[in-house]
Amino acid sequence: MTRADYYIVLFAALLLPYLYISQWTGDKAGISATIMNGNETTEVSLAHDHTLEIDGALGTSTIKIENGKIRFTASPCLGKQCIHSGWLEHAGEFAACLPNRISVAVLGEAPRFDSINF
Amino acid sequence: MKPLWLSLLLIATLGITACSEAPPQVHKAKLFTLGTLVDVSVHHLDKASAQQAVKIIEDELAIINRQWHAWQDGPLMQINQQLAQGKTITIDSSSHHFLQQAQRLAANSDQLFNPTIGSLVEQWGFHSDDRPDAAPPTKKRINAARKQMPSMANITLTATTLTSNNPAVQFDFGAFGKGYAIDRAVEQLKQAGIKDAIVNAGGDLRAIGSKGDRPWRIGVRHPSEAGVIASIETDGDESVFTSGNYERFFDFDGRRYHHIIDPRSGYPANDAISVTVIHNNAATADAAATALFIAGTTQWPQIAKQMGIDEVMLIDNDLTIYMSAKMAQRIQIEIDDAQIKIIDDER
Repeated sequence: MTRADYYIVLFAALLLPYLYISQWTGDKAGISATIMNGNETTEVSLAHDHTLEIDGALGTSTIKIENGKIRFTASPCLGKQCIHSGWLEHAGEFAACLPNRISVAVLGEAPRFDSINF
Repeated sequence: MKPLWLSLLLIATLGITACSEAPPQVHKAKLFTLGTLVDVSVHHLDKASAQQAVKIIEDELAIINRQWHAWQDGPLMQINQQLAQGKTITIDSSSHHFLQQAQRLAANSDQLFNPTIGSLVEQWGFHSDDRPDAAPPTKKRINAARKQMPSMANITLTATTLTSNNPAVQFDFGAFGKGYAIDRAVEQLKQAGIKDAIVNAGGDLRAIGSKGDRPWRIGVRHPSEAGVIASIETDGDESVFTSGNYERFFDFDGRRYHHIIDPRSGYPANDAISVTVIHNNAATADAAATALFIAGTTQWPQIAKQMGIDEVMLIDNDLTIYMSAKMAQRIQIEIDDAQIKIIDDER
């Protein structure tokens, strides 16, 4: 085996585990999220912890981003089902405050599912 | 000659690389309509065509919403007022089609899908986009409403008229209208030449075609925890509908009351926490998911058979998963240590 062959083999051996992980593992944590307010959509990063206050149809909804996750923490609706939805972490997960017309959806590089039924 | 392992290593590397083609292009849009969030995915189209598809869906859903909304001022409210007065109501062909389909599904479900209990649903406070955590109706009021026993059997339809022999009939198509609207929207999409799409209205969906060279992949959300409990790959043109006790509810005095009312008792049905149905028609899947939720763990196979539904997953309060044999053949359970009971369709 020549030196060139050796480098090709080494390269291939290093490439295999990277390709396996990057192409065959699903359900990755999201890297950003979209916040929809009425018909306006904004993309936010989940990389930095912060809190957003968004004025919707009813009043102000509070959305918290922490440790790569996002959730509603306060909303002017009566049912509070957006808050009950809890933390969203994986690509494709979402929660909505329908009365306030605000929704949050986690984006990711490779969501496992094209749509979520519930 | 080079060693065999070297050749295998290179082939494996090339094999994995070959699988990692660029993802097919899917255009997505979200709309607030039908009292919920509608998520549209369209595959294989340029952006302008995708936007046109979204507009088609938005317009069609808005028409159905306006016509059949149970508590906003509109045509259905007028129909309910006239029914309470015992009047004969003139209807057009689209209303006739809508009501006829609902009546057939109600009969096949032994009236467990009962879109005439609008008064009861209103008493429970679910004729509102945002119910507060206030007290449920009293037992006396529930019993009074229940004794009137309205059902779709009280309705007489002709091509142009609608009458009722029970003044307690008050329509609420919450367990049917969304499915019907999705069916109409999908038919419009097909007529516009769109072959590959998902229309997901508040978690209930119809998927047509595929995502390029693979089927659409649908995750079924866990009814009581984060994440999904199961997954399905759709085949051609299919609707996936779930009725769950977590969708609309309120808490009062430490108890949770959800929105799926059993017309027999007048109270929220409590034997299941979710029912998922697959059927090619979204309106049928919508009505069946509600009827089978109410039917519960013992009665659902019989009602499913009567309604022509052969792909069902019911989850009870202990998280035991009941499935029809056909559902078991195609669904992928995504949790560990699931308790699964497969029910023989032919028993």
